[in-house]
Amino acid sequence: MAKPKVGFYDITGCQGCLLSVIFNEDEILDIINAVDIKEFRFIMGEKYDGPLDIAFIEGAVVSKEDLEMVKRLRERSKVVVALGTCACHGNIPSLRSFNEKNIEYLKYDKKNEKQKDFGEPSPIIKHINVEYCVSGCPPDREEVKRFIKEILLGKTFYNYQDPVCRECKLNENGCLLDHDKICLGPLIKGGCRAVCPTSGLECYGCRGLIDDASFEDYFKLMKEKGIDPVMVKKHMETFAGIEINEKLKGTKWEKLH
Amino acid sequence: MVKGHIEMFKKSLLFQMIMVQFTIDKGDFEGFLRKVIEKYDLIGPVEGDKSKLRRKSLFRKIVSPDELFLEKKTYFPVKGYFFDPKETLFEFDGDKIIDPKIELKKKVFFGLRRCDLNGIMHQDMVFLDENEDPFYKARRDASFLIGLHCNEGDDYCFCNSVELKDFFDLMFYDKGKEYAVEVGTKKGEEFIKKFSGVFKKKDKIITEEDRKIRNKKKLDTLDIKDNYDDDSWKKGSDLCVGCGACTLLCPNCHCFTIEDEVNFDLKTGKRVRKPASCQLRHFTRVAGDHVFRNEKLARFKHRIYHQIQYFKDRHEEVFCTGCGRCIEGCPARIDWVKIINEMK
Repeated sequence: MAKPKVGFYDITGCQGCLLSVIFNEDEILDIINAVDIKEFRFIMGEKYDGPLDIAFIEGAVVSKEDLEMVKRLRERSKVVVALGTCACHGNIPSLRSFNEKNIEYLKYDKKNEKQKDFGEPSPIIKHINVEYCVSGCPPDREEVKRFIKEILLGKTFYNYQDPVCRECKLNENGCLLDHDKICLGPLIKGGCRAVCPTSGLECYGCRGLIDDASFEDYFKLMKEKGIDPVMVKKHMETFAGIEINEKLKGTKWEKLH
Repeated sequence: MVKGHIEMFKKSLLFQMIMVQFTIDKGDFEGFLRKVIEKYDLIGPVEGDKSKLRRKSLFRKIVSPDELFLEKKTYFPVKGYFFDPKETLFEFDGDKIIDPKIELKKKVFFGLRRCDLNGIMHQDMVFLDENEDPFYKARRDASFLIGLHCNEGDDYCFCNSVELKDFFDLMFYDKGKEYAVEVGTKKGEEFIKKFSGVFKKKDKIITEEDRKIRNKKKLDTLDIKDNYDDDSWKKGSDLCVGCGACTLLCPNCHCFTIEDEVNFDLKTGKRVRKPASCQLRHFTRVAGDHVFRNEKLARFKHRIYHQIQYFKDRHEEVFCTGCGRCIEGCPARIDWVKIINEMK
């Protein structure tokens, strides 16, 4: 079997997701040997414009150039993978959409003509169809490796579907919700080995929501603890704001004030 | 109940009828533990780091006796020592299956409460009786169980309501200046012989009063057959945020999922078993993306019915050990005991 042609690309983002691929120091050579990397600007100078088997794209779409690039990549790739939370859920770039005060300088950089009049930043999945989403800010490197292996084996990759709490409890942690922290663990996809709660930091939900996240019950619980629902919502918007706002539409969370 | 277990059970009862009882002075207790540590791995309850929010009491390898935390039951159950949260079932190399070698140092567990011990008994019923699980068996065979009787329950436990059984190698009862020791198995008797210097034989020192556990909580009925369609179950599931802590903290729960971890050569790798939780939606997802228990309510009821009824139907034992860890560890403190008590 010929090695699949793979490209790693980035649009507007911090490039942390691509780093999480090459930070697999122990297995980076295995990755390079397993696939035929055609373009990856962190480790090689060559550019490539031909057809691809798999294109990994990180970042959010915030300008016309970004949009053109993802559309072009979609056309020439069999499989497109949205890599990281920006590509899957909007992440930090999309925070601008929930900025209540409408601060002008957050809207666009006036000097930057590229972004002007483009509209709100959005995840890649809003603009093109993608086969897979590997979320996380940055994605867990073990998961990136698992993804590559499963694709090579011809399996269908499934995102980790259980909440962060499962791995958190297996790490023998007490619950941060008991200490009135706004930990989003129960609502958010795990697979991150619960690194944040294990270090004592509440979960900010960088990996996106599980299928049946219990929003209303979560808000109820927070209300009981005397935590302002608006604070909770802001907390939720940090990473997966667009998705969360869509899901909250039509629920009664506002009445829970 | 399945055959092997009845025999094991009768044996343990037989030894109690002999009423072999011993005492150990609290002055000698530390020395005894030090001797145990020299010979075996001693696993006991420790409090965890109080300064860090995330740490809770749990079972750990004890290096020095002063680490022990004996005031109340632990937040985390002891089950991870037998039902390993990351068990390698086998390794593979192409078509070749490589069985793992299980070599274990003998472990002595101290400070197991009656609920912990019954939890181990229930897991024995699952993993040892019908289809023996070699990994679980190896861990159980290399273990020696010393219990510590609670006199006072905490705010969450209700073990008097669930018919707990005597299941231990040795059981310690706190009698102020000394511990009274009850022998449960032949293994226990042999263990006492090894440390004969510190244990003094004393008949009938354990009174009925010593055996009592004073619970603050009570489950009024174990018969919930006719309550499946009761509306009050919703009171519980409506509070649930869906974290699955109840099942992961339960000393009985033993559901697992199996994953293959393949190496980059795509030939070698290993198959691992990890704990799963019936309270999470993904648990009942099958081919075609169908989910059997899609509603939180159905999952919640399933857990309680398994604890109280389904397991009893099959093994003639109430599954729940009344430790209350599922209530204590729940972010919303869903009190299903209260929900059942308030049902008509």
